[in-house]
Amino acid sequence: MTQTLDVGEGFSRLDSSPATGAPTSTQTRAKSGTFAITFGIAFALLYTVYERLNWPLFTYHPVLGNLDFWRQPAGVGPPMFWYGWIVLAAVSAFVVACIATLIPGQWLRRATVFCCALAAFWPAALTGLRIFIVDWATFDADFLNSVWVAAIPAFVGTAVVTYYVPARLAERVWTSWLLIVPIGGLVVLGYSLLQPWFLR
Amino acid sequence: MNIIFSIIREDTFWKILLFVHFLLAVSLLAAVTLQAVAVLMPARQMAGNFIDRSPVPAASYAALIAVVYVLQALMGAWIYIKYRTYVRIPMEQLRHFWTVGSFELKEHVVTMGMGLLPAYWYFWRQPLSAEHDGVRRWVTVFLALSVWYAFLVGHVANDFRGVGS
Repeated sequence: MTQTLDVGEGFSRLDSSPATGAPTSTQTRAKSGTFAITFGIAFALLYTVYERLNWPLFTYHPVLGNLDFWRQPAGVGPPMFWYGWIVLAAVSAFVVACIATLIPGQWLRRATVFCCALAAFWPAALTGLRIFIVDWATFDADFLNSVWVAAIPAFVGTAVVTYYVPARLAERVWTSWLLIVPIGGLVVLGYSLLQPWFLR
Repeated sequence: MNIIFSIIREDTFWKILLFVHFLLAVSLLAAVTLQAVAVLMPARQMAGNFIDRSPVPAASYAALIAVVYVLQALMGAWIYIKYRTYVRIPMEQLRHFWTVGSFELKEHVVTMGMGLLPAYWYFWRQPLSAEHDGVRRWVTVFLALSVWYAFLVGHVANDFRGVGS
């Protein structure tokens, strides 16, 4: 098969803001691109977060055929959260992607770097604090074992990284997040399955 | 559901669904594998502005792959209800922990693939952008790997308790 490649259509067109008058097909395409890429990144990130925190929008009880709002304990038969995580992640990612089409491209790239870095730093900071409490602390440091305490170094680290990442690099790697985030999410989710199933 | 079960037996109904799930899986597997092979094959430069991409028209069935992927995920989500009660519980009791774990990971893999579908569809829209050549290739490969993983793990789960087991 032979086909022409549209070499001229650069990635920077995703950023192009409308000049005057009605939106052209190029602008519509750019917006749909921004929406689709942001949705892909946000969905993978949020699904991983919701699964790890066990935040389903609803719980399905397959034996009774009941659907209950948010997370519910096992009643008759096992509860199913998977549908709830997917729906909540899809709705949240849809909202994020809609917002992404409204803000300037440069802000969007920075916000993506910020969110992805925060998603890595926050659990890393919490793990670091837990290691410190168990192996290093010479005082009763149990008060440090909190997601909110871990949030402080995580936000500071994320802010520093986001500030120092050059705009050109943030733009160049933006579509790469589409693969980095789902693969990273699968590593995290796969790791969480090691103890309950694979190393049992 | 009660109307259906008054016509056919409940286990026959679920086995029909599982078989349709299998047929969709094979179709999706074939399409997405062909497309992944097409994008991984090196492009040969031809005369003028034309580039010989591959012997299969990879872009023409991107929309089909996206639609079948969603249908397949919905079908899997439906059958998952039966799996959770009828298959997974005896699987745990018989200590088939690797199979349960692999199936848990399959849920996540398929979900991640679904999240990428809007971007996948966008990257394959005509005219294809050379700027997105790399990300289009790897998103397609990711989807192909996710479908292969889901197929193999689903097949193992089916062998435990499913059609023909």
